[in-house]
Amino acid sequence: MPSAESGGTPAIAVTAVEHSYGDVVALGPIDLTVPPGEFLVLVGASGCGKSTLLRLIAGFERPTTGTVLTGGVPPIPGRGAGLVFQQPRLFPWKTVGGNIELALRYAGQPTDGVDALLDRVGLHDVAKRRTWQISGGQQQRVSIARALAADRPLLLLDEPFAALDALTRERLQEDLRSVSTATGRTSIFVTHSVDEAVFLGSRVVVLSPRPGRIVLDLPIHLPRTGITPDDLRGLPEYAALRAEIGHAVRDEGTSARARSTRSSTSNR
Amino acid sequence: MTTTVPAPPAAETSIGASTAARGSLAPRGGRRRRILLRLLALVVLYGLWEVAARATGNPTFIPTPGAVWHQLVQTSTTHDGIRGYSGHLLIEHLGVSLRRILIGSMIGVAGGVFLGVVMGTVSWIRVVIEPAVTFVRALPPLAYFSLFIIWFGIDETPKLWLLSIAALPPVAVATAAAVYAAPTGLVEAARALGASRAQVIRDVVLPNALPEIFTGIRIAVGVAYSSVVAAETINGVPGIGGMVRDAQRYSQTDVVILGLFAIGLSGLIIDALLRTAENRLIPWRGQS
Repeated sequence: MPSAESGGTPAIAVTAVEHSYGDVVALGPIDLTVPPGEFLVLVGASGCGKSTLLRLIAGFERPTTGTVLTGGVPPIPGRGAGLVFQQPRLFPWKTVGGNIELALRYAGQPTDGVDALLDRVGLHDVAKRRTWQISGGQQQRVSIARALAADRPLLLLDEPFAALDALTRERLQEDLRSVSTATGRTSIFVTHSVDEAVFLGSRVVVLSPRPGRIVLDLPIHLPRTGITPDDLRGLPEYAALRAEIGHAVRDEGTSARARSTRSSTSNR
Repeated sequence: MTTTVPAPPAAETSIGASTAARGSLAPRGGRRRRILLRLLALVVLYGLWEVAARATGNPTFIPTPGAVWHQLVQTSTTHDGIRGYSGHLLIEHLGVSLRRILIGSMIGVAGGVFLGVVMGTVSWIRVVIEPAVTFVRALPPLAYFSLFIIWFGIDETPKLWLLSIAALPPVAVATAAAVYAAPTGLVEAARALGASRAQVIRDVVLPNALPEIFTGIRIAVGVAYSSVVAAETINGVPGIGGMVRDAQRYSQTDVVILGLFAIGLSGLIIDALLRTAENRLIPWRGQS
């Protein structure tokens, strides 16, 4: 199991964390350490607490019990991590460029880097367009560029491609992989898709159905450079990893359904 | 850090062209039909008015359209040494009233937006102020005009106070509701980018509230318009409301109707201008 680099401060340290919404325990207990530079993918069924864990790491929620540290300190929204949501959440009163400019301004950076950031996510000549005049895939690219603007050590992505069609999703996965390899920043990516997890991750963590607990923590040792996406997907190791993670997700889902059935039967 | 990824493919081409006809649920060619229908309605209204005026035969009760037209000419020119109505041309009466409405509305809108933002962001202030705003909104302007006369005399000040106070509540209520209901998703997006509380209000909450604020402004200007006659009840000449009140005292129905037309038509023009400004300032309205 991967662990923090010896002696160094881990990028993320989640220790004995549980989180509840009222009486409902959504997550935990969970222990998770993410070293700098890792691309960790969280996989699990709907409602298993993946997004909750991401919000705890982003600092939008405080854990009911346990501690979350990013870079050795409790997280504060907008300080240590760039965040990409499932929906692009662009500001419609700003142009595409205006959205990026705002992010640069908040980060205290010069605002002349808009075009460079758009280039980095594969967008050209759209800076002056209105956000609703570009496609959903382009909007999500803008949202990624906006999250990269602050140049923060962490990048958190909450199912950013879930609402996109399969073709666009695949292209964005490839582009995100390139950006991630180039920047080398620590990333956490939440997804339902086992294939997406294996393709993007340098480590995959599978959560059980609610309350989410870690049931599989798997390092992915696949080449990230010098190989085309199609060749990567064609590797036997790729298929083996997909199968292993897929089994973990399915087995946990089956166990949870069985537990739920037993519980409802015994309650009658 | 400067690696460039491939350009997005054709599958992600923009959808801007599809927005050209936004907001149009009416069938094509509807504009010409609408204009024709409105012209027809005007002709029918004119005919009915003419018939009603001749049938009653009492110009003090219903003057003919011709008599009102005659008053339009009389009040817009100098004739037999008399300038317009009460020494002022119709356009001057209207101009003074519009100036009062403009100043009153601007003060009311500025106060309403400020109050609305405060009410929408600070819950205890909303709890304290909301009933007061609703209270003032329920009062007819004439009810508090007497108070302003006592406090400020009969010159411009009480009129501007009346219009400002009348215009404030619609804007305050609309702004507070929109600010309070600011979408969590966009607020979180701004916070995730590192925005401070003040930046979130300036860059997200206020722009997001603009459509509702504009609706509030249009209502406020309408309220100020309907209050101007009340504001010009006392010492209102020059002023279109003062002219109407003065003509009413002397049973000059044709001048009263002329004044009503002037108020109504200028109101339509101002509303059209506001709608144009709204479309230009809030192009994202109705866009996903």
